[in-house]
Amino acid sequence: MSGYRGDVADALSGSAIFGALYATGPVVRTVLIGPDGSPGLISAPVVEGSVPSIVDLAPAAGWDEREAADLYGVGFNGHSPMRPLVAHGAALEDWTVRVSGHDAYQVAVGPIHAGVIESGHFRFHVVGDRILHLDAQLFYKHRGLQAAAEGRRLREAMALVARTCAACSVTNAIAYADACEQVLALEPPSELRRVRTILVELERVWNHLNDVSAICAGVGMAAGNAAFAALTERARRLNDALTGHRFLRGAVQVGASDLDWDASAVRRAANELDSVRTDAARAWRELAFNASFQDRLAGVGVIDAGRARALGVVGPAARAAGLDRDERCHSGRLSYDGFAPALPERPDGDVRARYEQRALELWQSFDLLGMLLDRPVTASRAEPGPAVRIPGAGPGDETGIGVVEGPRGRTVCILEARDGQVIRLQLRTASFANWPAVAAAAAGSLLPDFPLINKSFELCYACVDR
Amino acid sequence: MFTLLRDLRRLRRQLDLPHRTGSLAIRHCDVGSCNGCEHELTLASGPHYDLSRFGLGMVASPRHADVLLVTGAITSRMSTALRRAYEAMPEPRRVAALGDCALGIGLLGSPDDILGPVELVLPVDLQIPGCPPTPDAIATALFGLLASRPAGQGVTVGRPLGSADEQPTGERRID
Repeated sequence: MSGYRGDVADALSGSAIFGALYATGPVVRTVLIGPDGSPGLISAPVVEGSVPSIVDLAPAAGWDEREAADLYGVGFNGHSPMRPLVAHGAALEDWTVRVSGHDAYQVAVGPIHAGVIESGHFRFHVVGDRILHLDAQLFYKHRGLQAAAEGRRLREAMALVARTCAACSVTNAIAYADACEQVLALEPPSELRRVRTILVELERVWNHLNDVSAICAGVGMAAGNAAFAALTERARRLNDALTGHRFLRGAVQVGASDLDWDASAVRRAANELDSVRTDAARAWRELAFNASFQDRLAGVGVIDAGRARALGVVGPAARAAGLDRDERCHSGRLSYDGFAPALPERPDGDVRARYEQRALELWQSFDLLGMLLDRPVTASRAEPGPAVRIPGAGPGDETGIGVVEGPRGRTVCILEARDGQVIRLQLRTASFANWPAVAAAAAGSLLPDFPLINKSFELCYACVDR
Repeated sequence: MFTLLRDLRRLRRQLDLPHRTGSLAIRHCDVGSCNGCEHELTLASGPHYDLSRFGLGMVASPRHADVLLVTGAITSRMSTALRRAYEAMPEPRRVAALGDCALGIGLLGSPDDILGPVELVLPVDLQIPGCPPTPDAIATALFGLLASRPAGQGVTVGRPLGSADEQPTGERRID
């Protein structure tokens, strides 16, 4: 193996992991992330409309290649069958896996779901109540946000990134701000790193509280659902009190932070977080002793370590399967000195493990916030620093790659810029990384368990569809 | 956790009983949001706001719905599903546009992929601005829809039944 595929294979057989793959038109680039969190690029020129596929080397690249094929018309030699992902309107047999046999039939769900949920279409292939295979057709909410960013000033495009997804607004915004600051040769001083870390941990807190509430809802556990929904509301009110927005939107800017919290504001926030933590711990304990609830979680929707690694699962879902990767361990542009990931006692990769992982990370985030909110926060600006050069980027290219561990896991933001304008923006969110795992976890499970399995990942559609 | 719910009950003791004038069945439809409106709508049904106690319930099928509550600017891929959901609703029916995207304020995205605000496809009776509107704002707006309804009549916010622009069959053109 030589050339592009050989380089990718070498990197993957070393210590790098697959980070993202995207097309620019004339070139397809693969992002690989080293064990220290540093990203590098390997590029393949598009020749006669196609490049070699790497999906056999990195199965996690499957959706990336399908997206590039649909949006940029690139062919991937060796990726077969190449099913449409973003493009809708294909015949059913062209975008679903053919499943046949005695009593096999299909259950179609969505794009409009029964509850208050984002839109997307699922096609379950089942026998009786048993799911054989799930084909998910997402991208109903494709708004062309990445394309809309092209040609805009770097600071202007932040509006698009921050509005890609409300649940991951801070994560996406920090990943983009990091990429911009690399291009602009700016470095965040310690105060800017601290306030961004506070923001992303606040985002993790409300999301994990929301996820526990959603898992309870997934099995009809109304009391747990209500208790954690109430805590989610309190966390969002705290976000509003600190930043003026319940989803912390607008708090992350390129190269600066205007947030200014005096001693009493910081103390009030820390006290409220302590109080939310106490109530969350109390509610969690009551759920822990509810045997009929706990019985519903164990052994359901299993993604073990091997499959999690192959599928490129990220975040709490990966750690619940025993993978110890957490980008906070090497986030030099944030304040995570001495951070070690919280790992489960039972890394079973099932709904219970993902549920318990949320709590482990919640307590850790409360600890982190307690330490970070020990003094007032002042406005700060990024300082001129050495230009960051991404290995593998072309000599004249201005490329920045931000890698942030959000509530759902690693989000990678790739920015290609010229003269202060966005040339190409690719936001590979944790939800994008994990959707294939939801489908994999559903296979073999009972159809009525799907809402529970889905909630145990609690992925965004907006983050994927973009 | 039941202790936690009791705490909420203590806070609520100071309030008046809900002035319930009727009920509305609401079908939510996301046609291209950022997920913010959904998260806030979920909490509007949560313990702090508890819409169902005030007669506002979310229903699974548009066939059972009085109000189609639409979030997001309409993407090219969701317009058909939106029309179908509306067509499945019995008359009288109303449409509420929830959030700035649904209202067409500051739309973001590519023109190829986004058609525009909800009113481009459906007649909008109630507008709930905000990015996203808070659960409080959502609750207040929906209560307004309920409170403005005289006893024994249909919802009169927006276009009352039988007004000049209403078609006599009760079927509204949506294209």
